[in-house]
Amino acid sequence: MEDRLKRIYVPMTESGFYILYCLQTPQHGYGISQQVKRMSGGAVVISAGTMYGTLSKMEKDGLIRFYCEEEKRKLYQITDLGREILDIEIRRIERLYKNSKGEDIDA
Amino acid sequence: MRKTLIRIFTIADYEEEEIWLRGQHKKGWKLVKMTPPMFYTFESCEPEDVIYRLDFKNTERPEGYFQMLKDFGWEYFAQCFGWLYFRKPASAAETAEEGELFSDNESRVDLVSHVVKTRLLPLAIVFLCCVIPNFARVFTGSYVGAFGLFWGILFAVLFVLYVVLIIHCGTKLKRIRDKYRTGMDG
Repeated sequence: MEDRLKRIYVPMTESGFYILYCLQTPQHGYGISQQVKRMSGGAVVISAGTMYGTLSKMEKDGLIRFYCEEEKRKLYQITDLGREILDIEIRRIERLYKNSKGEDIDA
Repeated sequence: MRKTLIRIFTIADYEEEEIWLRGQHKKGWKLVKMTPPMFYTFESCEPEDVIYRLDFKNTERPEGYFQMLKDFGWEYFAQCFGWLYFRKPASAAETAEEGELFSDNESRVDLVSHVVKTRLLPLAIVFLCCVIPNFARVFTGSYVGAFGLFWGILFAVLFVLYVVLIIHCGTKLKRIRDKYRTGMDG
């Protein structure tokens, strides 16, 4: 993976993480925002402009790709590269979580 | 009934403009048309609390963009110099984020950077390459006669206008950017 992408996406913003996570199944922007709102119990709400901007950037950087169009709405899906970055983030968050509970990570 | 108001908002005053438009709608005046550079046409309506938001997109504006904003409940109704005007009834926004176009500081900073790059910078270039050289000719005595006087005064006025505008917009955009940057963790 390019260093540039690592710099931008590791660690990534909370919105970025949720969006990438949701795109493991193809979806459009509004669908993602509804899913995020539901799964976070209303704690994370992503606005329209932030959603559009993040999707555009991630598509340009190759983390997600255009899947198909449904009634003028673009559906996106995660790519292999996106998957790789998502896994790095998940491992980082797991480490944070364990450490926050006072558990050490075995080297 | 219609009314047209003249109001000056610079490229750094979009947050004030949103508040002003919301206030008008609360008083029973909804914005129906923007005529560049600063004419706002309102139509009388039922007073209602409606949130107004501006986005700046002067380059690409794909169809998908408008569709997505519509999905999120935003009505697109006007544009002016790359600024797009959206509104949504406050009652339709369940959370604060649903009443915003941007829910994280990163995207708010992106908007400011885009305005600086594509609006403030060209303004500064025109100032440096056109206004200053022409204004300087006043002091070298290049403007003679009544016509020369006219040009001299014109560029003196432009010089002052540009200085005021660039300082105002530059400092204010920087302040907006800093406000959101301090809230960023990355």
